[in-house]
Amino acid sequence: MSAKPRETANVGAGLWKATGMWAWLLFRISGLILVFYLGAHIIIISTGQFGAGGSTFNNVMDFLEHPVAIVLDIALVVAVLYHALNGVRVILMDLGVGIKRHKVIFWSAMAVVVICFVIFAYVAFSYLANDVGPWSQALGVAS
Amino acid sequence: MWAWLFQRITAVLLIVCLAIHLIFTHILSIGDLSYDTVGERVAHGAFTALDIILLTAGIYHALNGLRMVLMDYWFTSRKRALALTIVLWAVGIAFLVYGIWGLWPYIGYKVG
Repeated sequence: MSAKPRETANVGAGLWKATGMWAWLLFRISGLILVFYLGAHIIIISTGQFGAGGSTFNNVMDFLEHPVAIVLDIALVVAVLYHALNGVRVILMDLGVGIKRHKVIFWSAMAVVVICFVIFAYVAFSYLANDVGPWSQALGVAS
Repeated sequence: MWAWLFQRITAVLLIVCLAIHLIFTHILSIGDLSYDTVGERVAHGAFTALDIILLTAGIYHALNGLRMVLMDYWFTSRKRALALTIVLWAVGIAFLVYGIWGLWPYIGYKVG
């Protein structure tokens, strides 16, 4: 599709109404959360530079076992997965792929979000319950 | 135009590299997080390279995304947008240097 019909195609298909508008708003909100998280992540990892034998880093890691931190971790997974999969949809729209079927593509992307989240939650909760990841020993890559 | 293109390029890089990052850190090797366990993982050259790609692409994507949001609301004039762009580049480069410095002890980590 050339530039002009593509521009009108996405207006005609309602890419910026209803589902598309909410998708855009959540994309922004999750994006801003991730900007904040990236800054925090860089600062937290850099604590390995402080304290003998990584003691500061170890203290921060112990602190992050707090239930509030775990809830925030779960929220982070949702934000990452939503932003990534909606981002795939945005790139497809940019390429002019499936503009007329943008709602189907959006909900398919959300299905992938749910599947990935379930896998992640299963790993996280079995680790919290058993102190070992479900697949880490089987694969011989236990930390 | 270039910012738009780089946002897409870094997006694809981030999806691939972040998937690897999360599969290794949270699914395959979920466990006690400490300086030693993280050090053992990051000591592998491939993980160091992956982390530096993530750091660079992540900072660019995050700050350009933030810039686009800010330009929609407050930095609407060309002059303000340019000032914002310059400030964010400075912040980004500072974070990249700080991030690599933060990774340094893990890169030099001796396994065992």
